[in-house]
Amino acid sequence: MKSTYVIIAAIVVIAIIIGGVFGYIALSNSSNTSPTPAPTTAPTVAPGSTATPTPTPTSHPSTSASPSPTPTPTATPAPTPIPTLAPAVLNGAGGTLIAPLMSVWQPAYQQAMSQITVNYNPVGSGAGITQFTQQVVDFGESDAPMTAAQYNGLPSGTTAITIPISASAVVPAYNLKLANGTVMTNGLNFTGAVLANIFLGSITTWNDPAIQALQSPSVAAQLPSTTITTVHRSDGSGTMFAFVNFLYRSSSTWATQVGVPSTSPSWPTAPAQIAAPKNAGVAGAISSKDGAIGPLEIAYILENTGQTSLYYGTVANAAGNYILANVSNIGAALQAGASSGLPAGNASWTTVSMIDNTYTNTTATTMYPIVTLTYALVYQAQTNYVQGAALVNFMSWIVNSGQNLGTGLGYVPLPANIVAVDNASLKLVTYNGTPILH
Amino acid sequence: MQFKVLRGDTILKILLATAALFIIGLVVALAAELFLGSASSIHSFGPSFLIGTQWRSSQNVFGALPFIYGTLLTSAIAIVIGFPISLGVAIFISEKLKGHQTFGYGLGIIVDLLAAVPSVIYGLWGVFILIPLLRDYVETPLHNSLGFIPLFSGNPFGYDFFTSGVLLAIMVIPTMSAVTRDVLSVVPNSQREAMYSLGATDWEVTQKSVLPYARSGIFGGFILGLGRAFGETMAVTMVIGNIPNITTNLFSAGATLSSLIANNFGESTGIYQSAIIEIGLILFFVALLVNGLARFMLWRMTSGARGRA
Repeated sequence: MKSTYVIIAAIVVIAIIIGGVFGYIALSNSSNTSPTPAPTTAPTVAPGSTATPTPTPTSHPSTSASPSPTPTPTATPAPTPIPTLAPAVLNGAGGTLIAPLMSVWQPAYQQAMSQITVNYNPVGSGAGITQFTQQVVDFGESDAPMTAAQYNGLPSGTTAITIPISASAVVPAYNLKLANGTVMTNGLNFTGAVLANIFLGSITTWNDPAIQALQSPSVAAQLPSTTITTVHRSDGSGTMFAFVNFLYRSSSTWATQVGVPSTSPSWPTAPAQIAAPKNAGVAGAISSKDGAIGPLEIAYILENTGQTSLYYGTVANAAGNYILANVSNIGAALQAGASSGLPAGNASWTTVSMIDNTYTNTTATTMYPIVTLTYALVYQAQTNYVQGAALVNFMSWIVNSGQNLGTGLGYVPLPANIVAVDNASLKLVTYNGTPILH
Repeated sequence: MQFKVLRGDTILKILLATAALFIIGLVVALAAELFLGSASSIHSFGPSFLIGTQWRSSQNVFGALPFIYGTLLTSAIAIVIGFPISLGVAIFISEKLKGHQTFGYGLGIIVDLLAAVPSVIYGLWGVFILIPLLRDYVETPLHNSLGFIPLFSGNPFGYDFFTSGVLLAIMVIPTMSAVTRDVLSVVPNSQREAMYSLGATDWEVTQKSVLPYARSGIFGGFILGLGRAFGETMAVTMVIGNIPNITTNLFSAGATLSSLIANNFGESTGIYQSAIIEIGLILFFVALLVNGLARFMLWRMTSGARGRA
């Protein structure tokens, strides 16, 4: 009797161990299947059939391709890095948006400059600015420019230099089964006003006339009466900053109800609404519910193509063209946004917004409208030459040599006119009153 | 010789006193830091912070009530589901398996292993397994058949109070059952034998003799579990939906004090950060209050009890 129980216990334990080992082996053999049983919404994708419009914008591609670059007078090309650098360890902290790209930059830079080690702590933009202000890191990083209050909070006598180091775009991602049973793939059309009304809770079903009016007749006829579930980030994020910045410009109701854009905006109450942490949380929530929509960073979508039941829509730009985000039309938006002028690196960047700059720009007809820069923050007057020289060298390398390393991850290389502004800003960094870069 | 022994005792006494004082100092320092960090928020918003129902950080409108409500509600669900299960597991191991120590140990170890799983793993499991499972097989049927009751009136999405409560229940079971098991195992056999000699059945022995004898210890385990449910952050953040809501509808997204801190601390500065630290202060005091209340009830219970476990 007693031994029976012992045997049962032994069998249970052995079964758990064997099951775990076999399960692991089985999953690792077929490594391209997802390791967790994908929950609901079978990804039965019928690709071509579901009429994806994407009105390819015609006319003048030349206008957007050649904006007048270099708002600041920098006749010289990229500044030559200092030839010999002492060994140094650079510590940075800030936004999570840049973290995947930073982890590509770190080893690549280590190869170029083996004596310098860069550590980056993705604590969030707000915490990054706090640590930068407390001078516990060599550089801060933020997805939103510093606010007036944050500039005022800097230690007295110091000046912050703002350096755009990368860019990203935000797309409306959704999971929608059409009335005929097929899955809506990429290319549902949106405007800023309609997106604002969806997230304000005033458009509540997918067959709302306001959404139907934006689609081709064949798609409009298939939009179901499914309730719209809105999903957004529960944590503060540069992705949300860009998205609400666009809605803020697109809808006066949004502007009065939600207020000025921030990395952790006060979302209005929609009838069916949830928030989840990080891009992965938002993506998971959208893909688990038919009829869900939420803003996602383009890099996240491109990295996970084919792995989730997520699709994303087009957004109308100022010229009225519906643009499906990709690296080239995001680059076009950045170039157009920077061509209307950026402040000097040591001036206030509080009001800088690529979205504001391009919101009424009707000449850049191919640009994707929801784009945002992410910024590194360094002090103008460096107090330690070795650290300062290493920091300037690293930033210069990021801006001039590191940009193309991120394209595989969905990060858009900065256009030439922003690189020129960055190089001018880096020349402002001094040690003992003299610029570190000559 | 005599002198030496006294010296050793004195040193030991000082060392032990230091250890004890260190803990007291730590609690005081924690409270002081939370008060200092939230000073500007307490000063600006006063008591309206506690009863406000709106949380709009960009407009500096801060109300903690939805988060307090979320913390209490999810913990209550966790206890309602988790406590009977823990009690059942403990009684089964210590009473029914009395003659089969090995199997009892094995089962106990498996239950204890639940406590060793990191909470972010529970969160991931919650997102990918528990949410679809509960939504399709529990919440939707409940909503369809009992939707007229306010508790089940919402359109089930899976990211809600109910899922968080179930996940928390799983996380508090090992704590509660381990303590209960230990307490039941030290109930003297004379207690049981006395009942059996009167012709009592197994259940009568457990119900009338063992459980009353061990009730203070069981209650202690209950409190430990409750403490875990209050403070649990990561797993809850991943499944609760993070929308500040005060509603009796269990199938609605909510938010807890700890999920708010986890979500927003990194992006906060100035008065916003101060408000988040005040949320931490509230969590600290809610936990102290509930623990204190439980201790008081324990004291009331044991003052009349025949023995202690």
